Amino acid sequence: MHPLRHPRNAIFVGAVFSALGLLYLGIQTVAGWPHVDYAGTTMLILLGVAMSILFYVLIAGSPND
Amino acid sequence: MTADSHALTTSTGEQSPVAGLTHDARGGISNVVLGMLLFLTSEVMFFGGLFAAYFNVRANAPHWPTINPESITAANPAGEQFQLAILPLVGPATVLLILSSFTCQYAVWAIRRGDRTAFLRNIGVTFAIGVTFLLMQATDYVALANEGLTLSAGTYGTTYFTLTGFHGAHVFGGAIMLGVVLYRGLAGQFSARHHDAVEAVSLYWHFVDVVWILLFSLLYLLPGK
Repeated sequence: MHPLRHPRNAIFVGAVFSALGLLYLGIQTVAGWPHVDYAGTTMLILLGVAMSILFYVLIAGSPND
Repeated sequence: MTADSHALTTSTGEQSPVAGLTHDARGGISNVVLGMLLFLTSEVMFFGGLFAAYFNVRANAPHWPTINPESITAANPAGEQFQLAILPLVGPATVLLILSSFTCQYAVWAIRRGDRTAFLRNIGVTFAIGVTFLLMQATDYVALANEGLTLSAGTYGTTYFTLTGFHGAHVFGGAIMLGVVLYRGLAGQFSARHHDAVEAVSLYWHFVDVVWILLFSLLYLLPGK
């Protein structure tokens, strides 16, 4: 049995990384850092997208029995 | 992988929760689709690196787009920024590429229900649109080069051509895949039960489409500074 009822829900695990990226950007903006790390923010957000696909594959690709 | 690897229902007879894709009879994903999904995962990070570089260069540049060196004259020592035109080529090319995602998906739906005629028609249209997009991009490159925007025209030219060039290379790869799928379809190699390659290529094509929408938004719609 899948650990999640629907494999599609697994993308929310990956979305945690994207949320971290947005939080990282928010902290830099609110704190008024002189140099905003756009590269790091981009990589974190897109890592979330990649992880979402990967978690979907891990869950959906597993046999039911 | 079993002989029933394309069944969309589980061994217990329940509808698979991920029935939109081809799956193993026990609920897994077919090898072809699994491989494509993992490949796309790596592609997300590949383009992520390019986007990250773009944002970093853009954030650190005093002007964006940068100044066109050819526009600096005695009468205008400050010069003018590079400008990208959505019309007459890039805008229609974007619409075409988005349209091709729909035709590609229609092809997938057609082969899932065993309608080979509709499948061939839609995959043929998708292939033709892909080739048209590449021709339009090549024409746009020539027009930009005539205006002084080349790969060696500073950071702006480098990032623009690196991003759009790698995307174009992916469209080229996708067009080859679509051509192979079209050829195999004409040979009658796909059916409602056996069409893993169609599913995998459609995933790739949708990915390429989404990347272009992001690129178009960044390069053409995001205001400069």
